[in-house]
Amino acid sequence: MEPVVSYLGVSALLFTIGGVGLCLRRNAIVLFMCVEMMLNAVNLAFVTFSKIHGNLDGQIAVFFVMVIAAAESAIGLAIILSVFRSVSSIETTDAAELKW
Amino acid sequence: MSFIEFVFAAVAIGSALGVVGFRNPLTGAFSLILHLLSVAGLYALLGAHFLAVAQVVVYAGAIMVLVLFVLMLLNLKRESGRKMGLLRGMVTVGIAGMLFVSVAGPMLSHFDNLSSVGLSEAAKASEGGVKAIGQALYGRYIVQFELSSLVLLIGVVGAVMLAKRKTVKLEPRQGGMGGE
Amino acid sequence: MVELLILLIKVVIVMNLALVLGSTCTWLERKGSALIQDRVGANRAGAFVESDRWYLKPVLPIVRLMGWLGVINTLLCDSLKGLTKEDFIPEGSSKFLHAMAPVVAVLPIMLAFAVLPLAPDFYAWGYYVHPRVAPIDAGILFVLAMGSVAVYGIAIAGWTGNNKFSVLGSLRAVAQMISYELPMGLVFVALIVIYGSLDVYTMVEKQQELLWGVVPAWGIVYQPVGFVILLLAGMAETKRGPFDLPEAESELTAGYFTEYSGMKFLLFWLGEFAEIALLALLLALLFFGGWDIPWVTLPKGVWWAALVGHAVLMAKVIFFCLLQIVIRWTLPRFRYDQLMNLGWKMLLPVALLNLVVTAIVKVLV
Repeated sequence: MEPVVSYLGVSALLFTIGGVGLCLRRNAIVLFMCVEMMLNAVNLAFVTFSKIHGNLDGQIAVFFVMVIAAAESAIGLAIILSVFRSVSSIETTDAAELKW
Repeated sequence: MSFIEFVFAAVAIGSALGVVGFRNPLTGAFSLILHLLSVAGLYALLGAHFLAVAQVVVYAGAIMVLVLFVLMLLNLKRESGRKMGLLRGMVTVGIAGMLFVSVAGPMLSHFDNLSSVGLSEAAKASEGGVKAIGQALYGRYIVQFELSSLVLLIGVVGAVMLAKRKTVKLEPRQGGMGGE
Repeated sequence: MVELLILLIKVVIVMNLALVLGSTCTWLERKGSALIQDRVGANRAGAFVESDRWYLKPVLPIVRLMGWLGVINTLLCDSLKGLTKEDFIPEGSSKFLHAMAPVVAVLPIMLAFAVLPLAPDFYAWGYYVHPRVAPIDAGILFVLAMGSVAVYGIAIAGWTGNNKFSVLGSLRAVAQMISYELPMGLVFVALIVIYGSLDVYTMVEKQQELLWGVVPAWGIVYQPVGFVILLLAGMAETKRGPFDLPEAESELTAGYFTEYSGMKFLLFWLGEFAEIALLALLLALLFFGGWDIPWVTLPKGVWWAALVGHAVLMAKVIFFCLLQIVIRWTLPRFRYDQLMNLGWKMLLPVALLNLVVTAIVKVLV
């Protein structure tokens, strides 16, 4: 096995851990952090493929993913704050019902 | 894998498990910071030097500070939940295994066609030095670059609008309280 | 093998330099603040030491002089005091995080010294020595990255204090630090535009020439506004000078320092003075020509030229350390909203304007 391939294995493992965490945890901020972890795993795969194929397109894709992640984190955390103000909890099970 | 690659990968996987595993979300946030720093190390080992530094500045230096702010201001208790019994654990591992195979399978089966000969001379062209990335960003990907600045502007404006406290207007009281 | 040895020697020298500069700044602060405030300062410890042993007699006048100057008091007595104080950990907080916070605050600052060159290149016994520990591609961005990571030490320190005042104080400090990273980054970008490279060594090399034959092509000639912005933003980032509200809070109510005593507190303190040295080194390298003596050119690659260059650089660094110390002890501190106003409403637009003007001038000229 080429050594670069083990990076892909690490990337898949990180994606899996993030995905399982997304299913298991109920705290909204931990969910957000698991999403960030999945994005990082994908970024790692992009950079690895960029090295394999020998051009920079993968790294440019990682750059744009980082930009999107930054914007998404700002808005996501603002949403979490707004929900916290009305529901007083950030567990997703407490915000599961529509307002009656 | 050389020793230092192994160390970075092990720290990345370990801190990823920490993010998912720790009950206290603040410890999970610190674990995620460690994860981001080790992934930055992996980028540097793969030759993406600018991306490694950008990862530290953007992810570990800005996004996680935002997460820490929210966590410290909300002052949370530990998450309540059912404990992870044996059946639940096995189902979790099973689903995780299926997810891993479905993600890693297509990526790794790709390599029956590639030989490792082309790796060494192609590798130099993918050295992510700042000049090369700058030329690519401002050359071929200029439209996406401008659009990403628009996305960031939307992010800033949206976050401010969502997080603003709505001020309550008080109606003037009808009639006095006495003393007149 | 020889490269590894050279690397090890470089690491030892740079670490030494960072720590020695930090400690010297501690002493300069004590004596300098005393002189500014028209008092004498520490001059008792070790000033009157006498001995009958014959092998100590030649050394004792120097020891007495250093004691009179306050060096022994600051460097020896304070360190011993810090080492022997009781080290308490607030109840209910994690021991591990409480111990890690000073490390996380100080380690990035020490790492940032690794990408800054300390002398011109030279040849020694046939080996080419480049006096920089880590010649990475994105040189100056690494310094910015390390400034971003140092924020977490403050956040963890406030959190493990386990009281509301500590947390709020540390959040204020974190907000201040991340606000002032922006003008700093923009000044670095303007410098990259002028010098065409991210590498600090290249920037210093390009400052060795003369502009129009008369004026040395130093950074301050190209970027006077950038120098002022970097000085202000750097002092605010390191929570020094008139921007030290997070530390003043520990005098007024409580701040992130409160629950620390003994060696951990001294580690925070040393980190702060190492940050002073880092900012001074950055200013000297980026804006004042590094190891350049204005109208004198020394031969390249000779070992004694490197030594002279290093001495000149250290003189400039000490000048900037003294400048920061004098500014701190002269000006009253800002209120928090004045501080944030300065960062967002004054420094950031000025830094953006500086960048635009620099880019326009670079394209036209």
